[in-house]
Amino acid sequence: MGATDLSRLSRRDFLRNGFVFGAGAAGLAAGYAAVPDVFARAVYGGKLDGVMNDRVLVMIQLAGGADGLQTVIPLQDPKLRALRPQLSQAANSALPLDASFGLNRSMRGVKALWDQGKVAIVHGVGYPQPNYSHFDSIRIWETGDPMRRQQDGWLGKTIAANYDSAGHPLVGCACGSSEIPGALRDLDATLSVINGQNTFKFNGADADRAMGVIYNGTPGIYGALFDTSVFSARDTMARLRLAREKYTPRAAYNDNVNLVYSSRNQLASALQLAAQLIISGVGAKILHVTLGGFDTHDQQLARLDSLMGYVDGAISAFHADLAAYGMSDRVLIATWSEFGRRAAETANGGTDHGAAAPMFLIGDTVKGGFYGEAPSLGALDRGGSLKYTVDFRQVYQEILESHLRVDSQEVLGKAFERIPAVRTA
Amino acid sequence: MCAHGKTTAPGGPTRRKVLLTALATGVGVASARILGLRNLDASESLSSLVDTMNMSMATGVAELPDEYDAMFGVPDDSYAAQDFLDASNLPRTKPVALPPVDVRPAVALQLPVSGIASPKLAGDVDWVSPLPKESAKVTHLLRRATFGATEVELDRALSEGFARTVERLIESPFVEPPVFPAPAAPRPSASPSMTPRASASARPSPSASAKPSASAAPSMAAGAASPSPSAPAVLTNTTSINIGNLQGWWLDWMTKSPTPFAERMTLFWHGHFTSDYRKVGTNSPAIYWQNLTWRRMALGDLRSMLLKVTPDLAMLRYLDLAASTGRAPNENYARELLELFTMGVGSYTEDDVKAAAKALAGWRLPMRTEPTAQTGIFDARRAFTGAVTFLGKTGTFNTESVVDTILANDATAPFIVRHLVTSFVTPSPSDTYVARLADRFRRSRYDTKTLMRDIFTSPEFVAPETFRSLIKSPTDFMISAAKALGATNLSGTIRQYGSTLGQNMFDPPSVAGWGEGASWISSNTMLQRANFVTAAIGALRTTPSAARAHERHLDSVLAQGTVNELNLARDDKSRWFAVFASPEFQLK
Repeated sequence: MGATDLSRLSRRDFLRNGFVFGAGAAGLAAGYAAVPDVFARAVYGGKLDGVMNDRVLVMIQLAGGADGLQTVIPLQDPKLRALRPQLSQAANSALPLDASFGLNRSMRGVKALWDQGKVAIVHGVGYPQPNYSHFDSIRIWETGDPMRRQQDGWLGKTIAANYDSAGHPLVGCACGSSEIPGALRDLDATLSVINGQNTFKFNGADADRAMGVIYNGTPGIYGALFDTSVFSARDTMARLRLAREKYTPRAAYNDNVNLVYSSRNQLASALQLAAQLIISGVGAKILHVTLGGFDTHDQQLARLDSLMGYVDGAISAFHADLAAYGMSDRVLIATWSEFGRRAAETANGGTDHGAAAPMFLIGDTVKGGFYGEAPSLGALDRGGSLKYTVDFRQVYQEILESHLRVDSQEVLGKAFERIPAVRTA
Repeated sequence: MCAHGKTTAPGGPTRRKVLLTALATGVGVASARILGLRNLDASESLSSLVDTMNMSMATGVAELPDEYDAMFGVPDDSYAAQDFLDASNLPRTKPVALPPVDVRPAVALQLPVSGIASPKLAGDVDWVSPLPKESAKVTHLLRRATFGATEVELDRALSEGFARTVERLIESPFVEPPVFPAPAAPRPSASPSMTPRASASARPSPSASAKPSASAAPSMAAGAASPSPSAPAVLTNTTSINIGNLQGWWLDWMTKSPTPFAERMTLFWHGHFTSDYRKVGTNSPAIYWQNLTWRRMALGDLRSMLLKVTPDLAMLRYLDLAASTGRAPNENYARELLELFTMGVGSYTEDDVKAAAKALAGWRLPMRTEPTAQTGIFDARRAFTGAVTFLGKTGTFNTESVVDTILANDATAPFIVRHLVTSFVTPSPSDTYVARLADRFRRSRYDTKTLMRDIFTSPEFVAPETFRSLIKSPTDFMISAAKALGATNLSGTIRQYGSTLGQNMFDPPSVAGWGEGASWISSNTMLQRANFVTAAIGALRTTPSAARAHERHLDSVLAQGTVNELNLARDDKSRWFAVFASPEFQLK
């Protein structure tokens, strides 16, 4: 974004300068227009000097419970064939990662990144006393709290604690969604949801201007909240316009994928929007995208292959696009799903809800390879699911501490044993 | 809602926090408002305020020192003059090239009133309350006890006055919504709606992108006018329903019901005793039956309510009580019954949860051979037979004695009262106000009708602080706009924007229901609230005259920005846009 010196400005300087620029009733009435954009952008980095960096996190939710054993496939374990007479066929065409594990055959792009040392696979991620409800388990992952006592999302908390989201609503943004995902939710954070960049706009011809007139010095306890929100909306629209000018995709994003069962989401275009926000320097910090359709109770072999092919294509294009702009060293991609699936297959070639599954961390700052211990197919839990070996909050901690470089205990409540999958130097 | 952590805290955003938000963003908004204060050396206080902000932001502490309370605590009576409330000098005719009008901005200082905790920053800069006026009391009541008003409803209530309107709302027997039509050919679903697998899809909401059904509304409108002579096919628990149609059905009835207070209460209980159609079963009629049950019980006594809530089919699935047995008790329902439905966290122990889970076990869902059952079935073989210790009492419990033990606990009445009061009166009720209402509530044997009458007739309900102290939920906002326009064909638009704005019926974000207050407001939602207004106005062939809309729907208490835009508006549609998109209309 070319304003490296300005990025060192503290918020205090911003405020002081804001007052200088905005002095006098006329300037104040003009409000934010009096604040030069360069200052506005300078503070997006963070509230504290230590977290002012150019790192960006992109979380990809694989909603429905993504199967691990058909994604990172055990190649040598005879128990796989016994548990999954049909689904174990996936091992035959897997892309070998080492002697023991192969990647789903549809994931050629991720395999190429693995070969370049840019993919970390964390085995057996889960939490104690697995919850088999989608809703409860999603909430557990979203809040980072297996006890389900927390309301705020772990990403929302991170934003509230570290970044100036009120002034820079794209700090936390859900791309390709119409709702704020639970992981981003926090009462103290301003967040953006951009379903498509074409829908984040005022539909009325005159609405943008009118809202600017109306929301100007609103009284009452919510007055500043209203004014700030409307300002943020108009500001974000302007930034999106700017972003469109500064960005043309340098990779082939393709949502024209034939899925066995279609998912409503457009993963590739959501990631393209994410790339646009990152590349155009509009202050994006933590982005969230979702792909549904992983609840594979039947026909899993073909369904998961096609879904993983879709994921692979979207991630590959996203990484290539960032790399072409010289920004792939700033961005960490991480996948998550509420749970893996049962070790044994069902009669109709599917799987029921399970527990532990692998997580992918992808990016130039990743130290490629396997982390954690793969759960044993010979030591399942009472319900027939894989036992977790890595707490999901260990991975969250690594993302927060080593990639975003923020205090993880403020978000997770305590420290966990490190999974050193991200370079710190 | 008012059960967990941050959202439990009394009060919405404090003035401090809101100011901080604005200051963190840029200085325009907040400081312009501060400069608007009289009796304040603006520049001096601004700079000292900013220094404070700098310090607190540098350390991440979002509190002002106490001396600032005193600084803002200067009452300014001159701003509270009655004539200020009268915006009749706004033009009444179609505003073409209007002369600029001089309406002073609605900024003034107010004194705290007993019964409501004073704001953290005393002497808040706030809207001037018009509530001393009878007509303002009436509109205030209609905004909160119903979903705003049509012109006809407004005229009627204004002629009746506040006290009689309260009585009418509370005493009118509710009108049942039209029967939700069963599909023409009830087909046994391939994956039955009551099986866990069919219901547990975590895929994105079908309603999020689905187009509103064009055919549903008119047929229901016919049903609304008079009970249809040809009775619709009866829904059974093996029938598949379309959840989008069901959402439209309720939104339609909220707009049209002759007894809107019943709909308001039903929505309240839907958020309190909440269930989520996704877990209940996307195509299951159980969530429809729950809606009917909640409406019928809405003003009943709490004991009867809890005995309906516990074996409700949708609830049995939503909180897993149907999966709970004496041998393998599931704690989900027991926990939320105590935590979210009756007592609140901190008033019971984990052992009480375990004990209640055992004591409540035994309910099951109807089997396929029982398709007409609309409630759970108690099976003694699934129940726990031993003794437990629950809330200090040891013995054998069943559902009734669990409920009675909860009702005997001192935490229950204040918990229910606090939730109602924060939804209907103020985000920051004082403990004494809650205690006073709770005492009468308990002595009335937990009669909700008595409680609601007490709430609406309490001085706190019309105290100046309560004016515009609540933020309309998306449903509130959209239904009240539709009613103000007299539009009855907007339920499809409302459903579509409910998804965008974060409030789909039967689809709360969590077991704690919907959030309240500030959580409704974000850049995205303000943008989409404006887009809803554009869509709603655009959907109408003609709009009624907006000449008096600011009097009728905004109490003539207007912010300067709203006045400015009203004066710029060149036709009715632009003026309605300004009214509905205004901050005044987002509040109640």
